[in-house]
Order: sequence, then structure tokens, then C-alpha cells
Amino acid sequence: MASETMTSQERVQAAIQLEKPDRVPIAILATAAPFARISGMAAAEFYRNEDKANNAIYKVFDDVGGWDLDLGSVTGKSIMMMKTVMTLALGLRLAYPGMELPDDYAYQACEEEVLKPEDYATIAEIGWVKFMTEDLVFRVLDITPAELNQTLNEIIPSVFKGKDEWAKRGVVTMYPPSPFTCHPFFRLSLGRSMVKFTEDLYYNPEMIEGALKTMTREFIETTINGCKMFNNNMTLVVEERAGGYFYPLRIFERFWWPYTQEIVDALWSEGIVTWFHLDTSWDRNIPYFKQLPRGSVVLALDGTTDIFAAKEALRNHACLAGDVHPTLLSLGKPEEVEAYCKKLIDEVGGDGGFFLSSGCELPAAIKAENLRAMVRTGKTYELSKK
Amino acid sequence: MALVELERDRVAEEVKSRAETGESPIQILEECRRGMTIVGERFQKGDYFLAELMLSGEIFKGAMAILEPYLAKVGPSKPLGKVVLATLQGDIHDLGKNIVAIMLKAQGFEVHDLGVDVAPGLVVEKVRETAPDFVGFSVLITTAFDSMKQAAAMLREAGLREQFKLMIGGGVTTTVVKDHVGADFQTTDATEGVAYCLDVMRGG
Repeated sequence: MASETMTSQERVQAAIQLEKPDRVPIAILATAAPFARISGMAAAEFYRNEDKANNAIYKVFDDVGGWDLDLGSVTGKSIMMMKTVMTLALGLRLAYPGMELPDDYAYQACEEEVLKPEDYATIAEIGWVKFMTEDLVFRVLDITPAELNQTLNEIIPSVFKGKDEWAKRGVVTMYPPSPFTCHPFFRLSLGRSMVKFTEDLYYNPEMIEGALKTMTREFIETTINGCKMFNNNMTLVVEERAGGYFYPLRIFERFWWPYTQEIVDALWSEGIVTWFHLDTSWDRNIPYFKQLPRGSVVLALDGTTDIFAAKEALRNHACLAGDVHPTLLSLGKPEEVEAYCKKLIDEVGGDGGFFLSSGCELPAAIKAENLRAMVRTGKTYELSKK
Repeated sequence: MALVELERDRVAEEVKSRAETGESPIQILEECRRGMTIVGERFQKGDYFLAELMLSGEIFKGAMAILEPYLAKVGPSKPLGKVVLATLQGDIHDLGKNIVAIMLKAQGFEVHDLGVDVAPGLVVEKVRETAPDFVGFSVLITTAFDSMKQAAAMLREAGLREQFKLMIGGGVTTTVVKDHVGADFQTTDATEGVAYCLDVMRGG
């Protein structure tokens, strides 16, 4: 078998630039639950002890053979710290193991209307960050302003520590170092709840647009500043609800696509690549991404969008990532995982511009042998043919 | 047709005024159901999206709330069939389940929704109590796969499994999950689930 000829950094950059690396780069997006499961720990235990949890993640990394790009597998000092970080990122009520849920559960989002219709105007006026940190967070989290400030002060050192640890292992990280930075549209949908937000889109659309405009401007500014602060040239944007599975194109074209173009163009002008985490089916929406500058985005698909058709539509224009289905990783056999990874590498990664990854994040019920099979196939399949 | 066009306020106004003027609530309900069927057909054809299914469901719920006191006066009608729905232990998501529940109600099914994070034992109890034609499990988190499998096993052990069709649904489900659980039907599409129930009740 041939040896690797690139570092992870070179491999990741080559894929983004739509070139063919020495082998397919492997990207991992995971919260605590899958690592806890593989390590034989309860998820709550994982959140309670930062060092123990991080050591468990690095042990999984070593045991499966390591990956090239990590999209946010870091932990906090306590369950409350992680819950606060994720609440600030998502802007909704969360239920955590060891708090609202039993110790061995995955953390989960509560589909509740925490954002009221009148909040759109406030967000449009003062921006999401101020609204979130001075108002919304106290609606969904039992925390005092002093405790919130303390948590915010603890996050950055924790993040730098995680980034350094990955760098020691040669792994590339991106901004932000937690796995959730939501698109403004997704953020509003999560806060209003799916049904209420949909009613707003159809029956009171004007009130949403002011908020989206302000949030988009703010998103661009904070992301550019964050990328500079953490010395990153790639940022993660999560969107799970704007695609053609949920909404017709007229909604997508009015409430998602213009703001997305604005974000990508602004970031790209600063040399920042946007990694879109796109859940549910985007089959109808994929052709739109051809309008973005070549090489400016990575589209991570979750196994419900047809990644093979997406490749044909965006070949030599946008990088793709994905899409080993969570069910395959949870219930499948290693040889089935290996076969699907080979198909992805051949058909989607054949001419470059591809990251091998799970569809969505690593599933909570993942089997260690399946993660190992995915990573092993990514690291050896192409090199074994040279 | 106002329901089909998702005219929320117009549906509420019309249902209210027609019920108040003494029109048969069963007739009004039947029209709403027909509207929901057309919405489902538009979804199947790709003309409508999940958003429109949700909105029509909310409109239907509103119409039902207006009609309820009038329907109570004419007495209960025989349901088309009975369905027990649940999101099982390990998972607290219910968006998909709620959409299926309202669409089944719109087709005349009696729906017993057990909620989220439901212990498998509670499903057994509910099945024993209600003797449903269908049991449906909704899932988003993969750790609930084993809860579904456990519930199916407990229903078998209780000698109840042959009395109903077991359905599973949700974005992470596939035929592999169906086989893992031992279900009769799997879908990621709410309208397919409703169509399956209708088909079975018609002897399909």
C-alpha cells in the first residue's frame, strides 16, 4: 500500500479547492453521546468531567486510526457549561443528561415556542447577540447574569485548549469550535418552534425579514472576527429546516437563499470557506449553490439528499461531505459501512472535492467497529490501489 | 377548498358560522376531511411540502376545536380505526408524530398519543386497554431503536403483537430499522403512513 503524502491540513485544503488529495480527508462531527457510548460512559458522566471526556475522545481518535478534520468534538467543564454554550448557540430550551434527562440519554432540543412574534422587531433593532444574552437565555436557562458571564469567560480558554490538543494531533479544526452555529433562518425556526415559524412565514412574513437582515449582518461580522481570533479560514453553518423537504422554493428563495448568498460572499471576500451542515433532503435546492463562488463552500449532506446527484450538479464547483447514514453506523455491519464508503470515495470523491463523513453528526447509537470501518476505509482504500 | 388553500382565518370563520346556523357538524367535518385528503394528495405529487401539511393540520385542529361542542351533541361516531402513537424512551422529539396524529384524526381514526420518552411497558398497557388496529413509533434519535425493539418484544410476549400492524417512522428510519424492530411498515413520509393505515382498513 502506498504511503500518505500529505498532512491533514494539506489534504483538507486540497479537497476544499476541489483538487484530488493523496486520499479522501475524513471529517468528524460529534457531540458527547457517541463518544460516551464508544467509551462505555454515560453521556452525563462525559459532561461532568472535562479532562476525562477529552481523554476519552482522544482515545477513540487513536483507537480508530484518527481523522483529518474535527468539527467541534470538545467538551466543557460541567454539564451546565455545555448546556449554556449550546443554548447560546441554538437559542432554545435544551434537555441534558444528568439534568432533565437520565444520565445515559443524548442531549435533546425541546420544540417549544420560546421566541414570541413581538421578538422579531426587537431582534431587528438590537441584534441577535444582545437579545440572546440579555433576554432569551434567561427564558430558557436557570442561570443568573453573573453565572452567564462566568461561563462566557470560561469558554474561550476551554476552546483554545481543545484547538491546541487537536493541533498536536495534526487535526484541522474550524470556527466555531462547538458544533452548532446556526443560520439565522434556522435559529428563528428553533426559537419560534417549527409550526409557529411556518405560520409566520405564510401568514406574517414581513415581520421575519427585518430580523433576518439584522441577524445576517451580525452573523457575518461575528464570524469574520471569530475566524480572525481563532486563526481559522473555515466556518460551520448549520441549517436543518430550510431545504426542499420542508418548504417550497418560493419560501427558500425569499427567506434563505439571499441571506445565504450575502453570508457566503462576505466570508469568501475575507478568504473564509463556509461549511454548510445541511440536514434533510436538499435535492431541490442543490442547483442554487452553483451561483456561489467556486470553492467557497462545502456542503455536508446527511444521507437523505442524493449525494451522487449533488456531485453531478456541483462537480468542480463545490466540495461535498457525507454521508454515511446514521442507521448504517448504528445497526449496520462493518463490511456494509466499508462497502458504502468505497462507493462514496469512488463516485463522489473520484475527482476530488469530497470529505468522507457521517450523514449528520455521528449517531448516539454508533457502534465502535462501524466508526473504525469508516475511518479505515477512508485512510486505506485509495492508497491500497496506488 | 379554503382549507386546501391554507386560508386559516377563512376556514375558522366559515366553520364557526355554518355550525352556528345549525348545519350538520358531521357534514362540516367531512368537508374538512376531504380538504385534508386533497392536501395529502398535493404533497404526494410534490406540489405541497411538509410545511403545508403542518399548516393544514393546524387549521384542521382549529376547525375541530370549533366543532367539538356541536359534535358532542350528536353523539360519538364510529372511528375508522384505532391508532396508538408514541415516541419511545430515549427520544423526546415529537414533530413528526404530531403531524401523523393530526392527519390520522383528519381521516377519522381514533388516535391515542402517548407522548414522548415513553417506556415500552406503557405501550403494552395502552394496547391492552384500547385494542388498536395500529401502533406507530416515531423516532429521531438512534438510541431509541432499541426501545422500539424492546416494546415490540414486550408486545409479542404479552400475546398482543398479532392484533395490530406496527409502524415506525422518522427521518433516521430505514428498512434496516424496520427489520431490527420487527415492524410491518416503515416510512419517512407522514402521508405514506396515513395511506398505509387506510389501505389496511380497506383490507389491502
